[in-house]
Amino acid sequence: MSGTLDPSAPQRSYLWQDGTLRSWLLTRDHKRIALLYLGSITAFFALGSVGAALVRLQLLEPTGTILSDATYNRMFTMHGVVMVWLFLVPSIPVTLGNFLVPLMLGARDLAFPRLNLLSWYLFVASGLLVVYGLFRGGLETGWTFYTPLSSEYTEGRVLPVVLGVFLNGFSSIATGVNFIVSIHQLRAPGMGWYRLPLMLWALYATSVIFVLATPVLGITLLLLAFEHLFRVGVFDPSLGGDPLLFQQLFWFYSHPAVYIMILPGMGVVSEIVSTFCHKPVFGYRFVAWSSVSIAAIGFVVWGHHMFVAGTSLYSAIVFSMFSFFVSVPSAIKVFNWLGTMHGGSIRLDAPMLYAMGFIGLFTVGGLTGLFLASLAADVHLTQTYFVVAHFHYIMVGGMVSAYFGGLHYWWPKITGRMYPETWGRLAAGLIFFGFNLTFLPQFILGFEGMPRRYATYPAQFQVLNVLSSAGAGILAVAYALPLVYFTWSLFRGARAPDNPWRATGLEWRTASPPPVENFAETPVVTTYAYDYAELDGRAGPPGTAVGGPHV
Amino acid sequence: MSDGSALDHHSPYETPLHRDETAVAGMWLFLASEALLFGGLFLVCLIYSHTRAGGWAEGVRHTNLSIGAANTLILITSSAVYTMAVEAGKRGDNRRVVRAGLGAAVLGLTFLALKGVEWGQEFRENLFPGPHFALHGPDTGGAQLFYSFYFLATFLHGMHMVVGIGLILWICRKARHRAFSAAWNTPVDIVGLYWSFVDLVWMLLFPLLYLIGRA
Amino acid sequence: MARIAVCWGMLVLLLAAELAAARLGSGIGVGVLAVLMVLVIVLGFMQILRAPPLAIIFALGGLFWLTILLALGSLDSFTRTTVPVHAAALPGPTAE
Ligand code: HEM
Ligand SMILES: [Cu+2]
Repeated sequence: MSGTLDPSAPQRSYLWQDGTLRSWLLTRDHKRIALLYLGSITAFFALGSVGAALVRLQLLEPTGTILSDATYNRMFTMHGVVMVWLFLVPSIPVTLGNFLVPLMLGARDLAFPRLNLLSWYLFVASGLLVVYGLFRGGLETGWTFYTPLSSEYTEGRVLPVVLGVFLNGFSSIATGVNFIVSIHQLRAPGMGWYRLPLMLWALYATSVIFVLATPVLGITLLLLAFEHLFRVGVFDPSLGGDPLLFQQLFWFYSHPAVYIMILPGMGVVSEIVSTFCHKPVFGYRFVAWSSVSIAAIGFVVWGHHMFVAGTSLYSAIVFSMFSFFVSVPSAIKVFNWLGTMHGGSIRLDAPMLYAMGFIGLFTVGGLTGLFLASLAADVHLTQTYFVVAHFHYIMVGGMVSAYFGGLHYWWPKITGRMYPETWGRLAAGLIFFGFNLTFLPQFILGFEGMPRRYATYPAQFQVLNVLSSAGAGILAVAYALPLVYFTWSLFRGARAPDNPWRATGLEWRTASPPPVENFAETPVVTTYAYDYAELDGRAGPPGTAVGGPHV
Repeated sequence: MSDGSALDHHSPYETPLHRDETAVAGMWLFLASEALLFGGLFLVCLIYSHTRAGGWAEGVRHTNLSIGAANTLILITSSAVYTMAVEAGKRGDNRRVVRAGLGAAVLGLTFLALKGVEWGQEFRENLFPGPHFALHGPDTGGAQLFYSFYFLATFLHGMHMVVGIGLILWICRKARHRAFSAAWNTPVDIVGLYWSFVDLVWMLLFPLLYLIGRA
Repeated sequence: MARIAVCWGMLVLLLAAELAAARLGSGIGVGVLAVLMVLVIVLGFMQILRAPPLAIIFALGGLFWLTILLALGSLDSFTRTTVPVHAAALPGPTAE
């Protein structure tokens, strides 16, 4: 806002250079595309939350309160499909990632700006198709679309939903190609691989999954659509086809995809933890390579979703073993974050609260993943609320927290305004509390044997279900808070300085909000990513920044 | 990838060479992604051709080998002809790009036309899977699975052909306006990568659909 | 030009050999020849060796992941003992 009004300002901010709708819809500026994405995925997040709210309302009573069984099935499907593909898979990469990748690289834009815009249009088109299917008829298969339920027995709208998710995949691939190629080709002079911020390592690893796993989802859904549309056999057991083949193909994508839904969060947390401890990340190279190895090993564990489906024992053993391996790099990250915090002067601003929430909740989710990866335990726990709690701890407790943490952290850079800190901390605390109240009972429920995806349940489970639904209510309020105060801050928030958190990283060396071309002149990198000594040398003695350090 | 060889003001690149190499690398990455798209189909084929070997082979025996082989030859030739356009592009010879490009596109269309004839035959012979499926052998299920694979694979490959032909025609149009020069011809190159990839996929589909298990 | 003609000739010869191998019933032979044809295209037409090194990395990456998909994806079907997957083990010739 200041940019255009202040004649002395050397460059125009990307936000206000040209306010026409056309300039937004045809923009090739990665920063604006990030905001287009931010708007769209926020809408889908709201939509998915409505689905969750209805599910939790229904489960207040053992016999169900408001929905018919069929509607219940449609609601949890809606919730899952929307949350996974229209919110969580794109979340951090397409918003913070699109905004930050060029800035962190010291580049003017992504490698293929037009492709980037195309990916947003594909995303919107896919979202509209999915929503059309889900509201004109709905779908009862769950987000996993297992055959033959989805091909033969369904009464729902398979085609629009499946084709929507198919399109969505191409939007992901476009983003992935763009990030990988940009990180290879557009690093500023002096920016070697080991000088990249860890966020970029994480996004690189995520993009590998985008590019190499998503096409397999594409072909899987195409096979499914083909089978469903023409009533021919592909996975049909009555022809000797193998319904488990669908699951193999589906999980070849979807297990790596769960890492799409956590790796970017790990990147964000690495940045936040380092900044708010004012210390370089402990074991930088380990954290960097653990992202890559999570992405790589994540490709060979998918069979753990099929332990009880009737797959061969050999395959189950192999996949169980790899699943144990994949937890190693995850643990490395957790210990390195703790190592970074150890002895640091930790500032507990809102982003850091979210990051700490992430670390705790991700650890719980990861450890329970190991329970599930053990063959014997999984036979008992599979298809129960234990699994639901496991992945929500990681995807919601972990990733959504990281997403909110990242939004708070980079909000000053994106908008040029500070958010209200007190409200930020309050929301972070409330989210943590509401989250645990919602999902901790589900671990117990699952352990006691309550199956997932049923509209009703035995009366003895009611207390825990009521607790869980109450938590969901708190969570809903807590998620709405940032929406309110972020909007408020756009107009009334204090103006943000260029580097409000005294962070390293090239994005903090340009104006807030950045000018259209990102940097007045291409920055030259001379030190490693988290060199606070150099930063303090540039910025004057430590302790001069807002909110002095406190342990 | 802006038009012409000059870098525009907001371009993220330092030099035109930097931009062009990036574009080529990007295309290869996209092709790696495409390889996994077809990879899913190959997995289906790998599994069913073993678990339902009898029916699968019966299906293979009923495909039209003459059309399949002719199409393979056509596609090889088309890819070679388009590679001549790439070479012409490197010299900045727009006229040749147009000629070779059109040649490749016509060959591609011939492939599609023959494929259409083949599909027509198969529909008439009731080889499309379903209740009226023609092959009643001991493993009709396996044969149906084969034909599901056959139709989906050729459809998907055909769609790639359509896109490829569209891209080639786009190149020809640009070349007619003398868009390319020895200094800047990356689009010709990139479309060539895509077109050869489509050819490459067929080199794998052809033996799977027509040859292995035939004798 | 000459390069293109040579590659084209090699592909035609390989195609002929492939047809012959198919007639002899040698599935392996057909497979090997198909891989050779792919190599001719990648090296001769797409000229991967003259592309930027990144392109080679991307291509090898794609190949590697394709191998994972095919190897681990078929592991279950080829070793499954609990539920029969082979035609021979089905109850009747035309299981409904
Ligand atoms: C430490 C590494 C992890 C291990 C060992 C692990 C293990 C498992 C196992 C064995 C299952 C199958 C449970 C069953 O259906 O019986 C499972 C389910 C699931 N996990 Fe994880 N997991 C890990 C990390 C993650 C992460 C990082 C995410 C997401 C960001 C995630 C998301 C999911 C989801 C969504 C499901 C359920 C899918 C469904 O059936 O709907 N997991 N996990
Ligand atoms: Cu998994």
